[in-house]
Amino acid sequence: MTALKVAGIFLTAFFFGLTFEGIGRKITARVQRRYGPPWYQNFIDLFKTLSKHGYTHGWIFDFGVIMALGGIIASLGFVPVGGIVAFPGMDNFFVIVYLFTIGSLGMAMGMVGTGNPWASIGVARALTLMLGYEVPYMISIGSMLYFYRTSSISAIMSAQGGDWNLVKFPIGALVALISLQGMLGKEPFEAPMAPAEIASGPMVELSAKYMGLLMLMNTFMEFAEISLFVDLFLGGGTYFVFLLKYLVVWVLVVLISSVLPRFRIEQAVYFYWTVPIILAFVQVFMTVNGFVF
Amino acid sequence: MQSLLLYLAVGALVGYFLSMINRRLGPIVLLALSLYGLFTLWNMPIGSVEGLFGFEDILQFTALSKYFSIITLIVFSCYAFFNIVWISKAKRPHAFNALSILTLFGTLGVFLTPHLIALYIFWEIAVVASLFIVPMGKEESKKATIWYIVISSIGSYMFLYGTFLLYSKFGTFNLFEISGNIASESTGFKWLVSLLLLGAGIAKSGIFPLHVWLRNVHGNAPDTFSAVLSGQLVKMGSYIIALLLGAFPIATMFSQFYAGVNIFSYVLIWLGNISILIGTFMAIKQNDMKMLMAYSTVANGGYILIGLALLDQVGFAGGLFHVINHALAATMIFLSFAAVVYRTGTTKIDEMGGLIFKMPVTFVTYLVGIISIAGIPPTSGFVSKWMIFQSLISKGMFVTAMFAFVGSIGSFLYVFRPLAGVFLGQLKRKDKDVKEAPIVMLIPMIILVALTILWGVFPQQVLVWVTDVQRQFGMEPFKFDGTVLYSSLGHWDSWTVFVMFMVGFIIAAVIYILMPKGKKIPLDDQYTSGEFLHNFDLYHYATKYYAFLEREYEGHPSFEDWYTSIVNVLKAIGKGVDYFVRRTASAYTFWMALVLALLLWVRW
Repeated sequence: MTALKVAGIFLTAFFFGLTFEGIGRKITARVQRRYGPPWYQNFIDLFKTLSKHGYTHGWIFDFGVIMALGGIIASLGFVPVGGIVAFPGMDNFFVIVYLFTIGSLGMAMGMVGTGNPWASIGVARALTLMLGYEVPYMISIGSMLYFYRTSSISAIMSAQGGDWNLVKFPIGALVALISLQGMLGKEPFEAPMAPAEIASGPMVELSAKYMGLLMLMNTFMEFAEISLFVDLFLGGGTYFVFLLKYLVVWVLVVLISSVLPRFRIEQAVYFYWTVPIILAFVQVFMTVNGFVF
Repeated sequence: MQSLLLYLAVGALVGYFLSMINRRLGPIVLLALSLYGLFTLWNMPIGSVEGLFGFEDILQFTALSKYFSIITLIVFSCYAFFNIVWISKAKRPHAFNALSILTLFGTLGVFLTPHLIALYIFWEIAVVASLFIVPMGKEESKKATIWYIVISSIGSYMFLYGTFLLYSKFGTFNLFEISGNIASESTGFKWLVSLLLLGAGIAKSGIFPLHVWLRNVHGNAPDTFSAVLSGQLVKMGSYIIALLLGAFPIATMFSQFYAGVNIFSYVLIWLGNISILIGTFMAIKQNDMKMLMAYSTVANGGYILIGLALLDQVGFAGGLFHVINHALAATMIFLSFAAVVYRTGTTKIDEMGGLIFKMPVTFVTYLVGIISIAGIPPTSGFVSKWMIFQSLISKGMFVTAMFAFVGSIGSFLYVFRPLAGVFLGQLKRKDKDVKEAPIVMLIPMIILVALTILWGVFPQQVLVWVTDVQRQFGMEPFKFDGTVLYSSLGHWDSWTVFVMFMVGFIIAAVIYILMPKGKKIPLDDQYTSGEFLHNFDLYHYATKYYAFLEREYEGHPSFEDWYTSIVNVLKAIGKGVDYFVRRTASAYTFWMALVLALLLWVRW
């Protein structure tokens, strides 16, 4: 049964993740007054890249790509998707957050292993940005774990009942949303990729199936991160309700990213360490003193 | 225990003379003694009491002794194994070998006795023995030794003073007897004694404000000995902290402050917070890989201190568990660095690159080491971090949690710097003929990798030791059932996580294998923004890796500078005194004038 649920999560992430990404591209294009690609463009991209012969820079490059995708797949299995909870009680927040980093580390390692300095710069920026967004995110989620006396995602999801945590922890939700923008690498926190500035950073040496595998990894990562937000703040819900909520958050993120320019990396970190951290501590103060609506 | 200590003391001499015949014999003696010690202490029942040199009941084998002795002996076995080949590069092999064995003698003695004076003597033996090994390292290591001895002696004299204070009050040196009576003393006395005794632990485990020696000493000591310094000698400080916090009834001795944590623990937690912050941000800007890991030791010392000072079911266990994680990880990392230096002869990150293709096993050792330091499953580093986080969140200590998160995410940054600079990237032309380290060096590294992953997936063995310690100190032991770990905020299963990790990996590997094969191209076949490059040595991003972040805290205050300025003040005073007692004309004139003036003043 667990295996079936895990498979269900993977398939959902695959189909809806790619579909929503396609929709996101369409929305960005419409905001920028372009026509934009069709909604299934990401499926075409994925299968096309996966079917080509590429170039590799040695075993650490291959291993890094596999580790990146494998780590993200592993952590995705622990994320509750709507009614599908593969590991009830075991979906500990910290386990998921730290499992994610296996994927990031694999990607970073593989890409720096290509020997291209642009990739190194991109990875250095990505890690620095991570130092920015993770800290306020973990503090604001931490206040929620403290309130519910559990660090299990599914337990928090079901404990919300009809009242969303978005209403109970409004400031925490705002902090998590700002952090989410950084996690997804969307503008204004796009410095790690920055196509026009550092030649796409980590992805500079990718070709064919390596590109395809990392595109898949990126889709899964986005799916898991937004799912966590929906589970924690929007009450999860049944399968299709969950997907609807997911779509709303995703469209919001895409809309924000399509109209904003890029922060320099130190500006991004400075921003994260001032505004969201202070807001997160306001939320903590409210939670610890019992001001939860 | 008595016989083991005697063997070690004699072994130091034997090792010295055997090293004269063949320098490789010294490490073999140390390896044999460590393995013998590991075997003996592993099987020894907790609670055994023995005498030493005619003193009755001076050695006592507690659960805490067992835990720390096993860590020490694992680290020393790997160190000795590694040294069998590495010793050919040592400057004074006989003394190096003998002093290594003596260091082990001293530290084991510290762990085995609750008698404060005996503990102090063993402590000084360990410090002095290691003190003479440190200057056998790089050029600057002689200066580093001064930092080491000054800070160590601040700690140990505080400890000695506290011991005498306790003796004058209670008439005994036995810590466990003292701890039964201390609660009734005055508040000032309790603060003074606790801080004095902990001073040794704080100095030794590199906690703020006595953290400054680690960068110099770990960075400049002989390459393999840095592994012992960071993996083992620093843990001697953690032992003192754990022993005092556990044995003294801290929770009832001091008043409550916040969320069931007493004020004394809170002070310690803040020292831990500052250590994490300093260690993390200073590690990020180091270009010398050994100094980088030295600062990482400061940060991890902070984690251990926070965990221990929480003094609860989950946090204390997390702090203790972190001791073994950091010991193993630091040993792995420093041994892999020693292998790199053995082959390339430099510790500067930006003077290397691309070594992964030449030294793959060394790279894997470093990789697993950093995964453990960064606290990523499925290594054992995650288990202790999870425990500390759970405890902090369940108590609502969010400011400390923030420091813990910063240290944890920051560790990704600094551990990645040597990974990218030394092992990945472009291979330097000068390193084209570098070979993998000799097989004898690789074996201890592989053993440590295996242990780290084993205890990450099956943490039961370590948790049994940890909960024994908690029972000894009368705390509620950490709850676990097989591989499932429980805290008041929920549970997780390390085996399930490992299985999911493997599932993810296999899925990714299958997709990878099914798709068309990639063509292998050399490292200099690159996107270069359209430039023709002739020297790919320069196409490697390693200098100032986090320049954009370092800029943000460039003008930070530095305790090292502050201590140096105190030294300069002392020097200036010395110069002033020197001026008046030197045999120069001006000094004679000064004294003559002074004497005349005095005479005149007395006469009239």
